[in-house]
Amino acid sequence: MSLLKVNDLKVHFPIRGGFLQRVVDQVRATDGISFEIQPGETYGLVGESGCGKTTTGRAVIGLNHVTSGEILFEGKDLAKLRGKEKRLHTRDIQMIFQDPYSSLNVRKRVLDIVAEPLRNFERMSPDEERKKVQALIERVGLNPEAIYRYPHQFSGGQRQRIGIARALTLNPKLIVADEPVSALDVSVQAQVLNFMQDIQKEFNLSYLFISHDLGVIQHLCDRMGIMYRGRLVEEGTAEEIYTNPQHLYTKRLISAIPEMDPTLRLEKTHLRQAINDEYRTGYDENFDENGRPFDLKKITETHSVSRP
Amino acid sequence: MLTFTLRRILVMIPQLLLLSIIIFLLAKAMPGDALTGAFQGNPDANAQHIEEIREKMGLNDPWYQQYGRWVTNFVQGDMGMSYVHKQKVTSLLAGRLGNTVILSLATMITIYLLSIPLGIIAGRWHNSWADKLIVTYNYVALATPVFVFALILLFVFGFYLSWFPISGSVDIRAGDGWEHFVSKAKHLVLPTLSGAIIGTVGTIQYLRNDIIDTKLKDFVKTARAKGVPEGRVYTRHILRNSLLPIAAFMGYEITLLITGSVFIESIYSYPGLGQLFIQSIQTRDFTVVSALVMISGTAVIVGTMLSDIILSIVDPRIRID
Amino acid sequence: MKADLPIDPQEDVLAKAQAQAKAENKSLGQTIWHEIKHDKIALISLIILTAILLAAFISPFFLNQAESGRVNFGQIYKPPSAEFWLGTDRGGRDIFTQLMIGARNSITIGVAVTVIAGFLGLMIGLISGYFGGKVDFVIMRSIDFLMVLPTLMLIIVFVTIVPKFTVWSFIGIMSILLWFGKARLIRSRALAERELDYVNASKTLGTPHWKIMLFEVFPNLSSLVIVNMTLALAGNIGLETGLTFLGFGLPESTPSLGTLINYASHPDVMENKWWVWLPASLLILVVMLCINYVGQAIKRASDARQRLA
Repeated sequence: MSLLKVNDLKVHFPIRGGFLQRVVDQVRATDGISFEIQPGETYGLVGESGCGKTTTGRAVIGLNHVTSGEILFEGKDLAKLRGKEKRLHTRDIQMIFQDPYSSLNVRKRVLDIVAEPLRNFERMSPDEERKKVQALIERVGLNPEAIYRYPHQFSGGQRQRIGIARALTLNPKLIVADEPVSALDVSVQAQVLNFMQDIQKEFNLSYLFISHDLGVIQHLCDRMGIMYRGRLVEEGTAEEIYTNPQHLYTKRLISAIPEMDPTLRLEKTHLRQAINDEYRTGYDENFDENGRPFDLKKITETHSVSRP
Repeated sequence: MLTFTLRRILVMIPQLLLLSIIIFLLAKAMPGDALTGAFQGNPDANAQHIEEIREKMGLNDPWYQQYGRWVTNFVQGDMGMSYVHKQKVTSLLAGRLGNTVILSLATMITIYLLSIPLGIIAGRWHNSWADKLIVTYNYVALATPVFVFALILLFVFGFYLSWFPISGSVDIRAGDGWEHFVSKAKHLVLPTLSGAIIGTVGTIQYLRNDIIDTKLKDFVKTARAKGVPEGRVYTRHILRNSLLPIAAFMGYEITLLITGSVFIESIYSYPGLGQLFIQSIQTRDFTVVSALVMISGTAVIVGTMLSDIILSIVDPRIRID
Repeated sequence: MKADLPIDPQEDVLAKAQAQAKAENKSLGQTIWHEIKHDKIALISLIILTAILLAAFISPFFLNQAESGRVNFGQIYKPPSAEFWLGTDRGGRDIFTQLMIGARNSITIGVAVTVIAGFLGLMIGLISGYFGGKVDFVIMRSIDFLMVLPTLMLIIVFVTIVPKFTVWSFIGIMSILLWFGKARLIRSRALAERELDYVNASKTLGTPHWKIMLFEVFPNLSSLVIVNMTLALAGNIGLETGLTFLGFGLPESTPSLGTLINYASHPDVMENKWWVWLPASLLILVVMLCINYVGQAIKRASDARQRLA
């Protein structure tokens, strides 16, 4: 059984307007998305900004209300759980946030930040708690003395590690990582990403990895979905998507990756030209009359594409 | 724009309705009713007779029916009878309204005459000695309660120096025409200054901060870089932006003016609505009290609405809803 | 590890780290003190304020209240002298004693109203801003309405119609009518805080809403609350004395500074017996001025851009 199974998830936000502030329309941030994550797997969601990938992640963790659809975690629908049962599952799903500056409360010491989930779910003596936090902080590569410091005394990369330590505290099964490195220096990005891979093996984690950076996704993910206008346009293993993109949008996205090898640059330019022509002529085969991508159709066992 | 204005006016209706309900219920909680005044000191009145009249006047009806009648009458200008003065509240108020309006206008004008130049000076030459002086004045004004200030002014200029009259709104011995006007003006000086001198805080602070902020904005730098003379940078570029909202704040000042008038009018025995309010409360003349609270509340609601609308025209960023 | 070692070496290092971290992270209180020390006027204000507070709260132990409260027609309206530092009033009672008791009552009531109204405003503002949406809409529309009420007049009306008027009902009436502005201020900041990821993080960590509000969001608003409360304190003392001055404040049994000033409504006292009302007026002025100066220093301390120090 898959760890997480998202079925036709829709998250709509009302647009109010007119004289009486009635709901005049909906922003369809996530508009019918389905995907699965297996235990120990990293699933990447890619797309341009505003395509709804963050909304999807936030809906999975329960920060956004769900308009319709199911989010099955170990077979239970998270969107329908209430009270105690829901609380039980918050232990299993945790999140790493994009901005390491606003995601740590500046008024609290690292000890209190990392111990927050422990205080919610476990009865521990202050001493046990401190030992556990120290162990975690050491595991993410910081000095154990750091627990008495405040977030502003750390660099962005270190802060993100504190955020990761916090997410690990409850031994979750799934971590939603919403652009975890996009706010960091390029030099630190690789460090944090490699570290995330290390702990994935150690803690047997699954990741829902949200990013707009195709390089990062390729490096990290087993399978991935490409999002456009609140819907998936293509889904498959990272390998399939990078070597054999089927949907027009995916092709454009992949072709936009800068080419490092100067001898191949001219070839790449031609490729882009060709895709651009295809975009002009083949638009109707890829999007319906409203510019909305079609439903996914399987083309191989693992690879599906949005097709009419 | 139009939508905002219309919606803002619509919001006013439930506000007025709520205000009137609160005041009506408070009036019910106050001792005495419309008949208390009519039969006070009348030895012929017997309990049965009064009860008959009560029934006839509908004073035994459920509260919402009484409320309905009260509001209808109020809107039509019938605010009931004063128990104490034995006359219609409307005519009682009419004699006083003028005085309060004159005092409020004089106070408002003085506030602007003082605060606009001071605010501009403090903002334009900020951190100069003049600015420091103005800021100190502002601190002191902010900290001074209006009644303490009014008393001290009255003591110094009314009693000690005897420069100005100490009470009333006009000398009864003063004749007509010019003489009447001069006497009125003299009576206005102290009450006006009591409110105005310490009422400048908000405007000075706003102007100073706004000018200091605007001075550093790029469009001002551009103007300077183009070679616009310094004086014109202020008149054409900075002040044009900073002064407009001040006009809009006038409506918000009504609350302050009402609070001020209660204190100032009773200290200077100035025959206006504020003094009438205190007198009526002291004599338990509750029809007058509820009429006054209703009028003040309406004035604040309308003033705030006007300010909101003007501000939304002047500064479109305000129009969030 | 050796058993006789007094302190676990790691513990020792940790204790040091803890102490060092404390030294580097100045608490809000320390920042405020630092700022006040660097602003002479604020420092002087603080000293004067402390002196007044000490005098007002300690002197009643030394002054014979029963003696000075008794009416004595043999010594009506005596000007200041060695026996009566500030003279006597129309009942021959010592003004200085009344001044000290009045100051104590006025300040106590000012503090009580500030704390209660501040608490109401904080809670309602936090709830409104933190939850947002419909809750916020309902609360904010209510506050919009409450803000346009003629507060002073309503306080006076309440004071006159309350059946049993005591100090407590007075504090209650003032508190209930003075929290609206604070709630609105807190709400606007809470609304901004709730968009920050640390609040989302707490939600995903399973922290209940009330805990997030009180232990996550509130500490980030604390400087705003302290600044606002300090400045409100001055205003509330002014309002209380003003109401008492008009005759709608404290009952006779608990004199306030306003009670003394109220004597000035008699023109003869106003003109010729200045010692009755002027000291109380000046005391209010000084107290409010000092609180404002200290408040401004706190305001600067809470905003790093404005700090002098």
